Amino acid sequence: MLNLTIDGKQVTAPKDSTIYDAARINGIKIPILCHDKKLKPFGACRMCLVEVEQMKGRQIPACTTPITEGMIVQTATPEIVKARELVLELLLLNHPLDCPVCDKGGDCDLQNLTYDYKVDSNRFLDSKFQHEIDYNNPLIERDMNRCVLCGKCVRICDEIVGFGALTFIDRGIETKIGCEFEKGLNCEFCGSCVSVCPVGSLLARPFKFKARFWSLTKQKSVCGYCGTGCNLTLGVKDNKVLTTIYDENQGFHNGQLCVRGRFGYQFINSEKRLTKPLVRKNGKLEESNWDEALEIIASRMKGAGAEVAAIATPRLTNEELLLFKKMMIMAGSNNYDHAAGYAHAALSDGFVRSFGTTAAPSTILDIQKSDLLLVIKTDSYETHPVIGFEINMAVKNKGVTLKILSDKQGKLSRLPDARTLVHSPGSEVAILNAMARVILDNKLADGSVTDVPGFANFEKALAGFAPEAIAEQCGLSAVDIKLLASSYARAEKALILFPVGQAYPGHNAALANAVANLAIIAGKLGKEGSGVLCLSEKNNSQGAVDMGFYAVDGALDALQIIDGCAAGSIKTLFIAGENPLVSYPDHAKIKAALDQTEFLIVSELFMTETAAMADVVLPVCSFAEKEGTVTATDRRVQHIKPAIKKIGQSRTDFEVFAALIDKLGGIAPATPASVFAEIAANVPGYADMSYSALGDEGVFAAVDVKPAFVVPQQTAAASPESGKLALVTGSALYHNGTLSQYGEGPMHVCPEGYIELSRADAAALKFAENDLLTVTSASGSMKLKARVTSRMPQGLVFAPYHFGANPVNQVWSGSPVTWVTVVK
Amino acid sequence: MSKAVAQQAEEQEVIIDLAKANAIIDKYIDLPGNLMPVLQAVQDSYGYIPQVAADLIAERLNVYPSQIYGVLTFYAQFHLKPRGRFIIRVCVGTACHVQGAQRIKETFFNLLHIAHTETSADLRFTFEEVACLGACGMAPLAMVNDDTYGKMTVQKVDEIVAKYSAIPLD
Ligand code: SF4
Ligand code: SF4
Ligand code: SF4
Ligand code: FES
Ligand code: FES
Repeated sequence: MLNLTIDGKQVTAPKDSTIYDAARINGIKIPILCHDKKLKPFGACRMCLVEVEQMKGRQIPACTTPITEGMIVQTATPEIVKARELVLELLLLNHPLDCPVCDKGGDCDLQNLTYDYKVDSNRFLDSKFQHEIDYNNPLIERDMNRCVLCGKCVRICDEIVGFGALTFIDRGIETKIGCEFEKGLNCEFCGSCVSVCPVGSLLARPFKFKARFWSLTKQKSVCGYCGTGCNLTLGVKDNKVLTTIYDENQGFHNGQLCVRGRFGYQFINSEKRLTKPLVRKNGKLEESNWDEALEIIASRMKGAGAEVAAIATPRLTNEELLLFKKMMIMAGSNNYDHAAGYAHAALSDGFVRSFGTTAAPSTILDIQKSDLLLVIKTDSYETHPVIGFEINMAVKNKGVTLKILSDKQGKLSRLPDARTLVHSPGSEVAILNAMARVILDNKLADGSVTDVPGFANFEKALAGFAPEAIAEQCGLSAVDIKLLASSYARAEKALILFPVGQAYPGHNAALANAVANLAIIAGKLGKEGSGVLCLSEKNNSQGAVDMGFYAVDGALDALQIIDGCAAGSIKTLFIAGENPLVSYPDHAKIKAALDQTEFLIVSELFMTETAAMADVVLPVCSFAEKEGTVTATDRRVQHIKPAIKKIGQSRTDFEVFAALIDKLGGIAPATPASVFAEIAANVPGYADMSYSALGDEGVFAAVDVKPAFVVPQQTAAASPESGKLALVTGSALYHNGTLSQYGEGPMHVCPEGYIELSRADAAALKFAENDLLTVTSASGSMKLKARVTSRMPQGLVFAPYHFGANPVNQVWSGSPVTWVTVVK
Repeated sequence: MSKAVAQQAEEQEVIIDLAKANAIIDKYIDLPGNLMPVLQAVQDSYGYIPQVAADLIAERLNVYPSQIYGVLTFYAQFHLKPRGRFIIRVCVGTACHVQGAQRIKETFFNLLHIAHTETSADLRFTFEEVACLGACGMAPLAMVNDDTYGKMTVQKVDEIVAKYSAIPLD
């Protein structure tokens, strides 16, 4: 701590503070325009000028000047005020001052500073800027006439987003912000630049002319898309969520969001929302009422036993899932599951055997504290973009080493000094096992591993994973595997990350075990900045596992339930929010099974492809209309509250299950809070939690890790089928599951599926970008548009899985690699 | 650079052989701080920086395309469209201005129909206005590549254009 004097006040501040920081933590306000706490100091605007006595009273920027012991600072002398007024006058000189139609009005730093400094006239005269406004993309309007050249957009897109879409163009008076060769913006559309722009230069187009800023009610919530669990502030007016509002102090991510979180909120108030219960009569779904619909369902459920099954989406709250489970148990069935079964196997099966718990031991906060990150699949960026930002910042700002094992290159591969080992698809487990073998052979193993249960058998099994043999199978060199293994083992703190989800069937229990074995053998558990982090797909995927909403003790898992429907052994199927027709493998099989199902109940926000097949459709609420808790991928348990009133006659899934429990003769808990109390009493790790303890940012559920080695199975390498390409599925950056199809933002920038292939394959097969290609596998055939990119290795094609209009599961078999032929 | 100019640059880049650019990048790829030397060498080789070459440099040196464009527009030495074989520079500094630089400029324009930073369709001439060339005693001043022409007159403009138009383009 250093001592200094600011405006005559004796204060102290940490020694690496700037004058601005020191003032801020001591409650002294220095105006800023180009400074942002998340970004490196820049010092461009001169709004934060102060005088320092030791510097002969010269005016210096507070945001870039480090403090020194005994410094005497003045922040608001008449000279400084005059200098700031001059800065503002000059900024206002070319600025259009079209505040009445500017969406930033009321939330604009330039407007507020002008007001604060009472700059009501200008001593200068000059013409206004005449830049063309960029309306080339549907999400972000760029009006450089309003720009104050603070550079925050350029810096955030580089320093945090790692995309680098924007730059300073030209110099001197001509300087402006733009993209290469003056092209329109074509980027990730995360909106980070919009959120930090102090003026109305960068605006969210979907919010244009929707409401004045001050008329919005701010409602804190948690993003309803992926497992990152980002905190959100929703801007609400007239029971409509009109925008997301940036709050730089919100969450571990300081208000950073991805395109889905920032621009994907429109599904909440979508006109496509279901508003009334529907019951199938004479083959047609017809409007009904809750009494009738619930009565029909209860009569199907009552005493149905194992003939009834349930599949839920892990977007339901913990309380809803627990209630759903209770309802099924009352109906006499243990056949309930979520996420196609395999998408949670890494946690519910893999980690249970490796760690004795259903959760990964590390958290998102470990990423920036690590020395080395080993990321499995570059897709981790696309599946969890805000975790991707954490990786960007770790590598770019903290110098963390990044190693990637992946079947293709990706955005993460381009980070400074990142090393991507591109292996043949589906071979990651074998490579991880070979790495464990290298660590053991080279005496890099942790000293105490021999005490870990299962070591002897593990050591024996590793004999089958000689790096030379595995390298050959996996399309890598043995040297690369050895180097990777030793840098991983030698790093003081190393963290392994891997995504799981319905599009990644290979990321299963075996992968979780291989990752865990590696972390255990290298002694990477139990340290800050080190360990294992499994990135689960949906906003409450971790919670669904913690609540035990999956098949145990011989009950049917999701895919077995589908088989049971086809075989006629399951007669009633209740699907809450899942859309298997689109998101489970093998479309034809799922369709036939649902056709066969005697009675199908679907609770949904929308008339999805699956809902359209149902006998009863219940309109239920989005996350913005309900109360409860959700658990993020790193076990952050967060509390959500209704931001708007329920849409139409929709009810929460909680109310649906509670009503059904009543009808089945049970006593339903009255409120989500009472169920949460039950969770706090019974679920390991959630002990003693309460809504108030969760606060705004949640609390980590404790995990009690008991490491054990799990003996790896020898797997035969996926043998290529001659003349065919290896199709892998995955997540597109702009989407998450099938829900984002109802968010206009994501659909504006990524409206349909595609097949991504290498330049080499495209050249050999004479395909060009946007060609309509016919993709055929053993399970079917479909048409997809070609995307030719530099990141794909020859022989591999990639297709995202989110799109109901033309689902990739028409050809996707459900194995990690599907062999396909592709023709024009 | 205006949007129109950017477009023009785009249109002119029909077929660019990237072999030369690739060879330059090969040479510098492992050196730290290689962006400027690569851009300079590519410009020397092509006479300007074609957009496709900028894209290639971005990809191979792992630099944002936007960042390259920022550099290209910051430094006056870089050109984003093909340049003429003969670069005509007319000084419009104070001394030259007083001595009638405006007439000289207009005369060039009337003969060649190219304005500041523009290039003739046959890629023979590029016209540029420049600030003081440091030889005010000879105002008004013009230069063609490295040749200096002092005490310019309208008559001399005709002669210069005729002289350089007669040289065959290779
Ligand atoms: S939206 Fe995101 S990726 Fe696009 S320019 Fe802004 S910060 Fe960069
Ligand atoms: S567009 Fe906004 S954030 Fe970017 S430099 Fe201009 S004022 Fe700053
Ligand atoms: S989709 Fe995931 S990463 Fe994106 S804002 Fe929502 S929680 Fe965050
Ligand atoms: S805020 Fe300090 S120079 Fe801009
Ligand atoms: S003003 Fe033209 S050479 Fe000086």
